[in-house]
Amino acid sequence: MSQRSFLMAGGLCVLLVALAANLSLGSTDIPLSSIFDAVVAFDGDSYDHFILLYQRLPRAMIAMFVGAVMACGGAVLQGLTRNPLASPAILGISSGATLFVIASVFFLALPPAWQGAAAVAGGLLGFASCLLVARLTGMSRDPRGLSLILSGAVLSMLYTSIANALMLASPSQRTDFLSWMSGNINHVYADRLYDFWWLGAAGLAVMFVLARPLTLVTLGRDKAASAGVDVRRVTLTALGAVVVSASAAVAICGPVGFVGLIVPHVVRPFFGAGFGASLPANAVLGAAVCLLADLAARTAFAPYVLHTGVMMDLLGGLVFAVIVKRTYLGAGARGMA
Amino acid sequence: MEIGKRDRCVLASHDLTVSYGPDSRPVLHALSVAFARERFTALVGPNGCGKSTLLKAIMGFLKPWAGRVTLDGAPLVGMPRRELARRIAYLPQENFCPDHIRLGELVELGGYARYAMFGGPSDADRRLFEAALATVGLDGMGSVRVSAMSGGQRQRAWLAMVLAQDADTILLDEPVNHLDLKYQYQILDLVHTLTRRGKTVVAVLHDLNLTAAFADAVVMLKDGAVVAEGPTAEAVTTETVRRVFDFEADVFERDGRLVCLPLNRPGASDIAA
Repeated sequence: MSQRSFLMAGGLCVLLVALAANLSLGSTDIPLSSIFDAVVAFDGDSYDHFILLYQRLPRAMIAMFVGAVMACGGAVLQGLTRNPLASPAILGISSGATLFVIASVFFLALPPAWQGAAAVAGGLLGFASCLLVARLTGMSRDPRGLSLILSGAVLSMLYTSIANALMLASPSQRTDFLSWMSGNINHVYADRLYDFWWLGAAGLAVMFVLARPLTLVTLGRDKAASAGVDVRRVTLTALGAVVVSASAAVAICGPVGFVGLIVPHVVRPFFGAGFGASLPANAVLGAAVCLLADLAARTAFAPYVLHTGVMMDLLGGLVFAVIVKRTYLGAGARGMA
Repeated sequence: MEIGKRDRCVLASHDLTVSYGPDSRPVLHALSVAFARERFTALVGPNGCGKSTLLKAIMGFLKPWAGRVTLDGAPLVGMPRRELARRIAYLPQENFCPDHIRLGELVELGGYARYAMFGGPSDADRRLFEAALATVGLDGMGSVRVSAMSGGQRQRAWLAMVLAQDADTILLDEPVNHLDLKYQYQILDLVHTLTRRGKTVVAVLHDLNLTAAFADAVVMLKDGAVVAEGPTAEAVTTETVRRVFDFEADVFERDGRLVCLPLNRPGASDIAA
């Protein structure tokens, strides 16, 4: 246990360094001392202070929010489905939320403050439809859960293409959402963060409270029930928390994929499969990864600025291929009993 | 006599009829059986006779069509999971442990039913966990990953988790399946010692000789009904083995212990011919 505390301290250091680098580096480099000054003694006449407080800080907060929420959601989904490829982006949650946000704006002209509700509804529908299609295509005869991943992938494509079709059909509105659709961590979405952060925080709180019974559920339904867990209630509540918080993240800055897939795999060897230790670590490391991806998106191809979502897709595609190889094609294919 | 018997029985089913779905035919037919307090009772019978189904019905995983299960005379139906977990522990036939779970974590999860929502194990709980690990002979291995253990160690790890639950009644579904003979003896011996600490144990077993060597009492099932029940030496006879398992057995005592062998020598059976 003390070893894990040590690792956790290390993770927090990584997060702090990533945050400092994210705030400090960019098209203009701001010294760390100015960052400190801007927070404790804001000077409205300083250009650096202005950039920091109204651009880089909101941006960093969005990145940390998305990273923490998606990583914890991915960890819970991977544990409950016993599938190493599960994550909010792959099981239809992100694409369902995206479609509903676009549709709610284009058809109902919902104001931004209500788009969070649309995202949650879409996330729930996307996830439920993914489970339903997997069930219909024979999940019971599919011990490695391949049908779950495939139905998630197909439905994600479907929902994303419908959203794209809606965008193409309305040239006047699409410019507002073109960047958002590809997962864009940007300070212009700060207001959305202030509108929806509590949804993500509530979802994370529920996951943390349920950490122990959720770990028991990963041992098997009967085992968990015999140890005193109300399996149905715990599972549904936790999945609801995952969908709500991931959908809130989508409502803020669009679908940033793969962080929910990758981070749990990095965390697990160090913090174990028990959610009590692994969820805080996922939150910290997910936040750090998104901060670094955002930093890379802004600086790697300067003067061009990439979308963080594009950056994560580049990285995530590689990791996805590695996990597929290990899980479905590897000789051992361990841990899939 | 009848009252005295009931006093000694902690767990009982009354006219229990159970099936796996509304359309499938019942696996247990109006089954009434009682398990004696602080005894190791073996459930034996051929595959598909309803041994595991009975344990699942007792745990409430299958909803009975008719009948009920009682613990100390009170019906179990409707009891909240946490309260049930403090009184009955259950080890399924197949157990899955994700990678990267340590033995210590597994055992700590066993005590879940006693924790408050935001609390963890108390000092007394931690002493109980260490005692459970010592009982199964895995003391000092709390930081070892369960997935890295041998089959025998892993089965003892699951037993330690069951012991950490600290319930007085323990149900085990084929606890020695797939294990080397040495570990089968070791684990059943361990299970038997539990009865001396006030535990009531019901275990599904496959092997009549293991049953005869370790169990205090036997319940023999066939086609979802009880064929024989009682102390091992009385219940396991040539007659009951023929009725339950459909083969001619030679059942005899040796040094006060029961042995059960097929009557036909190899090569003499009409199936082989």
